[in-house]
Amino acid sequence: MWGNTGRFIDVDLTARMVDIFSPPVSYYRKYIGGSGLAARLFWDRGSFSADPLSPEALLIFALGPFAGLRLSGASRGCVAGCSPLTGHWGDSSCGGYFAPELRYAGYDGIMIRGKSEKPVVLAINDDAVQLVDAAEHWGKTILLTTSDLRKQFGTDVRTLAIGPAGENLVKYACILNEGHHAFGRAGFGAVMGSKNLKAIVVKGTKKELNLKDPDAFNALRRELNKKIKEALASNVLHENGTAANLEGGVHTGDVPIRNFQSNFWEEMAEALTGSTLTEKYLVHHGQCAFCGVACKRVVEVKEGAFAVPKGPGPEYETIVAFGALLGSMDLAATCKAGRVCNELGLDTITAGATIAWAMESFEKGALTLEDTGGIALQWGDVQTVIEDVLPAIAYRKGPLGKLLSQGSVSASRSIGKGSERFIVHSKGLEAPMHDPRGGGHGLALAYAISHRGACHVAYPMLFMEMGACYYPEIGFEYELEPMSDEYKAETACIASALGSIENSACYCQFADREISIPEWVALFNTVAGYDWDIDEMMKAGRRVFYLHRLLNYRYGLTAKDDSLSERLLQPAVDGAPEGIEINFQGMKDKFYDLMGLDPVKGVPSKQALLDHDMSEEYAALESMFKS
Amino acid sequence: MEYWKDESEPIKAFLELFRRAQEDPELAQGLRKVNQLIWFDYTEDGPNCSFYVDARKDPIVVAPGKPSENPDLIMSLSADDAHRSWSNKLNPVMAITRRKIRVKGSATGLLKLAPKLKKVAAIYNEVLKDMGWEDKILK
Repeated sequence: MWGNTGRFIDVDLTARMVDIFSPPVSYYRKYIGGSGLAARLFWDRGSFSADPLSPEALLIFALGPFAGLRLSGASRGCVAGCSPLTGHWGDSSCGGYFAPELRYAGYDGIMIRGKSEKPVVLAINDDAVQLVDAAEHWGKTILLTTSDLRKQFGTDVRTLAIGPAGENLVKYACILNEGHHAFGRAGFGAVMGSKNLKAIVVKGTKKELNLKDPDAFNALRRELNKKIKEALASNVLHENGTAANLEGGVHTGDVPIRNFQSNFWEEMAEALTGSTLTEKYLVHHGQCAFCGVACKRVVEVKEGAFAVPKGPGPEYETIVAFGALLGSMDLAATCKAGRVCNELGLDTITAGATIAWAMESFEKGALTLEDTGGIALQWGDVQTVIEDVLPAIAYRKGPLGKLLSQGSVSASRSIGKGSERFIVHSKGLEAPMHDPRGGGHGLALAYAISHRGACHVAYPMLFMEMGACYYPEIGFEYELEPMSDEYKAETACIASALGSIENSACYCQFADREISIPEWVALFNTVAGYDWDIDEMMKAGRRVFYLHRLLNYRYGLTAKDDSLSERLLQPAVDGAPEGIEINFQGMKDKFYDLMGLDPVKGVPSKQALLDHDMSEEYAALESMFKS
Repeated sequence: MEYWKDESEPIKAFLELFRRAQEDPELAQGLRKVNQLIWFDYTEDGPNCSFYVDARKDPIVVAPGKPSENPDLIMSLSADDAHRSWSNKLNPVMAITRRKIRVKGSATGLLKLAPKLKKVAAIYNEVLKDMGWEDKILK
């Protein structure tokens, strides 16, 4: 086996047993790695009736074939399973340093079942894998836990840890690597918490990876690293981070304001944009392993109500989620809110979106002071959010903390009173900080068809609509107009396959914009020996997309769940997209037709499955239909 | 060139565009925030087909040719694509992806200008009209 190691750590926390498991070799080429490989392993071994926070729930960490290579963008990993937030298949991707280290320890991933009687840390040191008592870490913040783990296991270990939110089973608790890089979405921190698994530490020494064609790969690697580093987008990301174009986004109507009620706020644009963060608070640049882009921010706010010591700074999503979305243009407050979320272990997107929903519900009378335990939720009041609301959520304290810890969709169901009209999501996952009414109508379709729910990184639709992609080898030569439905279904067909490849390869969606389709094929072939041509690679991407749909069907999702909240389907009231309606149903119908999806069940047709070598999956599906 | 008779025409139009843009308070402020020396290099259409904007100076300096100092940013493209660009008919991200525009240096300042392109286009159309080049206005 090349690139991959063929070995997964299999942990049964109930029995305190650790074993090594080897997936069938054919799975790697068929499902690529990461998101795709985890999906297939879950298809074989997961329980579709298990509560995601029960001991029976299966949690899978999976790497792509490129983890550990000295290649910009290749250091990401994937976590997957049933999301406690949405109740169906979900996965989440994280950069940083964990994935390369796990590969150097000799593994492609970790499968975790059961529930430990007491809090534990899973400690991996090459072939030595053990469960270590974690009583001293339980209850501590992620940043403190990370620091203590280094003292306990050595400064050279890499860490994944949860915070109080994960321990308290908040449905959107995250997992952080090195206290900075997040497996943010879908609530897998709560799954770790439900298993009494506080952290995973890893140290690996096997840095000589077995590649199919090392010479060819190294030549390609040098070329790609140079190309990625010198690209204009990389330069912009390095200088001003992922929020570099926030100002531009405000003018196109992409940036959501006050819970997606407005698409334009000129004064806010400059106050929150990446260059302002650089000028005011950047201490130095941060990066994921081996990345020449270095888009991460390390910030310090020296004084004021939102002072934060030097440490991880906010990404675009956090800046908007705790800025514009809450009606605030206080950049220091977003730094502080992001840091508090990191300490508590909360996904900043769902946290910000849920609080924005609560603010609107409070404004419109659906939430009262009685519901909130006396906390007034006012637009722009991020101080109350930081001091009162986020801790209440993470510790599930008081009526507001208990309500908001469920996420906005469940919370709105709990209180009713018309507050359902204020939620912005697809399949139970709150929309990220790109409003498709201004960001691009294809993004609306991408949110709806994404397996985990409204997600901007499941597929590269956002980049494709803005013009940042050009793939003539696979027929993507469209000159797209973001605020139109023209060619969006066709683009979604390509995007869904490409996104599935990227997330299964566990590759950064910023760095990989510089990689051409033939270069992608060459990477897979020189590293993992998949022996693909372009058609076979794209087929593998579609196969993963189809498998995600089959998993969700087994969770009870059908075509009607490929939907968007009412708010995103209403024309915007201001800004560039004002008055423009999204032809959502038209795009969806065409996409279904082009992808061979059943218009009711939402699953791929028999022919589509057989064309993608998915006869085993089809057989399981057929027996489900019969029963 | 599809839109220009010779290499001097586009430079005349673009210099006038920047002169007028500075009369607009919003655009003038936007240009000052760029705070960079930018060379717009259209020399693929002729050795003298270029101009530069020095937004580090107050007032901003706009002049034909290549600046004597090293520019912070060089944007190289054809004079026709520049015409499309100032007319807001060329998606700059797409043009960069497809190598119609080659950029060297820091583009941070330009990102600040991008949202103003619509307004720039309106002024550019007026410039073309006033120069008797209505036929060049892109619909």
